[in-house]
Amino acid sequence: MRIPVVFLGGQYNHLIVRALKEIGVESWMVTPKVRLEELDVDGLVMGGGPHSVNDGMERFGNLPQIVDRGAFPMLGICLSHQLIGLLLGGRVVKGKRPEYGRTLIRVIEADEIFQGVGSEFVAWASHNDEVKVDGGKFRVLAKSDYCDVEALRHERKQIYGVQFHVEVAETPKGKDILKNFVNMCK
Amino acid sequence: MLKSISPGGYNITSGTFSPPVFVEEKVREIREFVGSSKAAIATSGGVDSTTCAVLAHRALGGRLICFFMDTGFMREGEVQEVSEMLRSLGLPLRVLSVKDRFMEALKGKKDAEEKRIAFRETFYKVLSKEARKEGCEVLIQGTIAPDWIETSGGIKTQHNVLEQLGFDTVKRYGFRLLEPLLELYKDQVREVARYLGVRFEASERQPFPGPGLLVRCIGEVREDKLKVLRGATLAVERALGSLKPTPNQYFAAVVEDERVVASPAVERAVQEILPGGKVEYFKCRATGVKGDNRAYGKIAVVSGGEVETERLFTLPERIIHEDGEVVRAVYKLGESTVGVIGSGGVRRERYAVLVRAVETRDFMTAKPYRVPMEVLKRLCQELLKICGVSSVFYDITSKPPATVEYE
Repeated sequence: MRIPVVFLGGQYNHLIVRALKEIGVESWMVTPKVRLEELDVDGLVMGGGPHSVNDGMERFGNLPQIVDRGAFPMLGICLSHQLIGLLLGGRVVKGKRPEYGRTLIRVIEADEIFQGVGSEFVAWASHNDEVKVDGGKFRVLAKSDYCDVEALRHERKQIYGVQFHVEVAETPKGKDILKNFVNMCK
Repeated sequence: MLKSISPGGYNITSGTFSPPVFVEEKVREIREFVGSSKAAIATSGGVDSTTCAVLAHRALGGRLICFFMDTGFMREGEVQEVSEMLRSLGLPLRVLSVKDRFMEALKGKKDAEEKRIAFRETFYKVLSKEARKEGCEVLIQGTIAPDWIETSGGIKTQHNVLEQLGFDTVKRYGFRLLEPLLELYKDQVREVARYLGVRFEASERQPFPGPGLLVRCIGEVREDKLKVLRGATLAVERALGSLKPTPNQYFAAVVEDERVVASPAVERAVQEILPGGKVEYFKCRATGVKGDNRAYGKIAVVSGGEVETERLFTLPERIIHEDGEVVRAVYKLGESTVGVIGSGGVRRERYAVLVRAVETRDFMTAKPYRVPMEVLKRLCQELLKICGVSSVFYDITSKPPATVEYE
């Protein structure tokens, strides 16, 4: 099973690689300049980063095209979650009450990505921007007190975004969520 | 940095990290890289650099020289303890006493990043000169994953990160650089250390940053401030080191006890959680990390009020929602009853001690360790006995938005 991680400069990008390896997946980092035809993979995870999607698309390389045409499951985390929200027609704005650290995630629509993790769980987040609920071609799967879109899914495809960090030790259910994603890639 | 990450000690089928596989791979890599020349390694006695030294020694034997720098920012008695520990591991050791060089380079510098960069430059100037004298062409370093991730992400300049910043080390310092632990996190380094037979004192040693007490001396470094910090460090390590389970990191920091007022909105927010409580800011700033960006921001100082301890930990978030420049919050445990204001309104006891204890697997994220209030109160009384300490605080901030260390 091969699932690389797109490096967008975030603090935890390398932890995603570690977490995938611990699940038993072959994982490595690629840059956003990677081309879709180079991706001989079973799935793709995209990491967080210090930028805002509203500051232009150059930093995201070929990711818009990959999200549009890739034929494998994808998971965007934090900044990449916002990127997916934007690419699916949604809006990304600066949050009024940014989350740094612990937050409580509430699942509002059951989905295989959250299988076995319960309807509420503790997660860690670190973000200034957030995806708005309305306007995008996605379903909102989870929210928190301060952020209305903590998780989203493409209307039909297995393209997911999570605003919180599944890869850090302080998100105890994070590994289970990643495993659920890995299972979709099989 | 983005070269495909090799199996690097991971067993692909089980997903477990395997120290024997890792060591075998790295020993081969080190031998190939160094060839027939000699290599130097600088170690602070910390887990990462000590493990890296033992690994390199296994690969190179007598062709490795291990340097240990007394920068002046070590803890009480540490220079001797570490030298003995490194010798007992069979490492060929050279101790360099270079305190004055560092103090000189740091004089008058208040900004956290300026301090870190001055430390790094002095460190490599001293090291490359000594290493060249010994005929070393290669420098081996125990840089681990969080070091380069934080430095290349612009969170803080770790003194041991060079190539990831685009430095040509051959041109700039005169040696080729090798970093065998680059892909590992602290918990994995400890596994490697245990496998290599590094003694318990070293493999389970409390993490201590390379720049040492420098980054816990918030703002400008001065002899009297360092002295207070050394005393406080001893007291905090003694009090918190015996807690079960032991916090993954615990230490003291020191800052000028000078404060400014917070806005009414912030005061209201604090009152909501802590009825009767007060909030101010230290004049000095500290490092934090928010949304993958470095933040060099305010430290909120909360005192008084009555609240169950657990709710205290919700304060930082509430305060930040009202003032986005805040990166951390500390809660007052007590203050000196004598001589807070000396004659003529001049403070005699001028330093605030901050007690930090965290629970973390890999130092990328961390939560404040819940130290029992009675332990904190006792510790506070100990700390207030140190000459120069005006008040004592307990850091209640997670990472993010704070970092584990202060600068």
